[in-house]
Amino acid sequence: MGQSRTLQVAASLGAILAWIVIWAWLTRPGGPVPTLYFPAPDDVWAKFVRMWQRPYIGSTLPNHILASLYIVLTGWGLAALVGIPLGIAMAWWKRLKWIVFPTFQLIRPVPPLAWIPLTILWLGIGDSARISVVFIAALVPWLMNSMLAVYSIDRLLLDAAKTLGANDHQILTRVVCRTALPTLVAAARMALGSAWSTLVAAEILAATAGLGYVAVNASQLLDTDVLLVAMFMIGILGIGMTGLIGLTQNWLAPWSVLGARRD
Amino acid sequence: MEQSAGKMTSGITDPAPESPAKLELCNISKWFGPEGEGVHAVDDCSIEVKKGEFIVVVGPSGCGKSTLMTVGAGLEEPTHGEVLVDGKPAGPPGPTRSVVFQKFALFPSETVEQNIKFGLQMTGVSATEQETRLAEQLKIMGLEQFRRSYPSELSGGMQQRVAIARALVMQPEILLMDEPFGALDAQTRTILQEEVQRLHREMHYTVLFITHSVEEAVYLGDRVVVMTRRPGRIKRVIDLPRDVAWKTGDIELAAEHPEFIEFRREIWGLVREEIVSI
Ligand SMILES: Nc1ncnc2c1ncn2[C@@H]1O[C@H](COP(=O)(O)OP(=O)(O)O)[C@@H](O)[C@H]1O
Ligand SMILES: [Mg+2]
Repeated sequence: MGQSRTLQVAASLGAILAWIVIWAWLTRPGGPVPTLYFPAPDDVWAKFVRMWQRPYIGSTLPNHILASLYIVLTGWGLAALVGIPLGIAMAWWKRLKWIVFPTFQLIRPVPPLAWIPLTILWLGIGDSARISVVFIAALVPWLMNSMLAVYSIDRLLLDAAKTLGANDHQILTRVVCRTALPTLVAAARMALGSAWSTLVAAEILAATAGLGYVAVNASQLLDTDVLLVAMFMIGILGIGMTGLIGLTQNWLAPWSVLGARRD
Repeated sequence: MEQSAGKMTSGITDPAPESPAKLELCNISKWFGPEGEGVHAVDDCSIEVKKGEFIVVVGPSGCGKSTLMTVGAGLEEPTHGEVLVDGKPAGPPGPTRSVVFQKFALFPSETVEQNIKFGLQMTGVSATEQETRLAEQLKIMGLEQFRRSYPSELSGGMQQRVAIARALVMQPEILLMDEPFGALDAQTRTILQEEVQRLHREMHYTVLFITHSVEEAVYLGDRVVVMTRRPGRIKRVIDLPRDVAWKTGDIELAAEHPEFIEFRREIWGLVREEIVSI
């Protein structure tokens, strides 16, 4: 198993390296792709280093990244605070679902980005507008998957808990919430993916800093190298955050991870 | 319930007439869905389990055995009839009637010791008492080295040991077991059958045990209730000898005893009629 894992990593890195080589070859001086449309890898790298140190449209790259992370994590976190309890409660108390779910179903088909004009109207182009849009984008997966997490619990476990003397409240807190944890980790990942892609789009429409804001300005200024730096950062941060959430499963729900500890 | 080994009985006498009824299922009928339209799972079943008695219910698959047990445990309301414990309406499920399920039903997010302590914590047993009873059960069921494992790390046999420990730790007045060994391999099943037999002999649990295995019924039961195919009715009740040597030994040895063979033949004949006539 250790060997196939090493092989897998080597193959993945090799593939990425191959893409960079092809990229360099296509964009070499006198190559088929003009650098205005697609700058060479070393130019992009140089731009990345420069942006890391010097401000671009108002902020250095780390500050743009922090601006984006601040919005996405706030919106995602607030959505979790609402979505998890509401989702679990709706799955647990049918009547609450009857009341809340129709409204939710009505709102759900509206793409999060379609909220942007309204939030700009209400909140201007400040942070709160983008946080609201990210919140809406993250709320749907948080809530739906929290409901699913409860529905997918084997009824037998609830029966077992009852025969062991647990009351409804104890079943909810001790059995339902804990058993739902692995699904909630998956929910966190989906909500973050949704939040992240919405944020970048929201920054394109209304922002004063952030990676999406960098991207749209770079495009207008024909700074293709900056655009590529921004896009790479968007991708890498997305992977990084999803990876971190995956890691939390190890300590939040160790039983659900294959080859859990044995001592 | 003192039992002197070696004495043979014909098996038709009532061997514990002095014991009061502990659990009574009185004229239980159960419909899933509207009466007359839905599934008629159980029809007018009455079973009396006396204190310290081991009653085994056998019947073909799908005849309503599990339904009868969930009603007995209070997990389902009967359509007709009632469940009594000590002559009084049994009420909602609770630790006086511990249940062992065929599919173990362990909490996947809890370790072995957390699973076993679950019911004690739910019912407010003191922390020191919890530890004492946990240690006792870990020892009885041979689970000491697995106390910090999660159920998903254990074999089926070990998982069912945890489930039995989790039920016994509540010191239940009544133990309900629904095909507890049905999902286990043959060797594990044999060992657990012998352990349950030993537990019953030593601790005098009151047990309602469900199975589709005639051998298991003859080996474990003080009395065997044979059910008809769905809707499950009681076809025959057979008293088995209780104080005989073959019941206290290994199940393979028991299975060679002429008395065992005779009861197995009789009960299997009754069950077979229900399967063949489907
Ligand atoms: N919750 C339920 N809803 C509808 N039908 C059920 C339900 N539980 C059991 N049944 C039906 O009742 C009958 C008896 O089931 P069960 O008691 O599980 O049988 P057994 O345990 O003897 O195999 C079966 O036909 C089964 O499909
Ligand atoms: Mg069954």
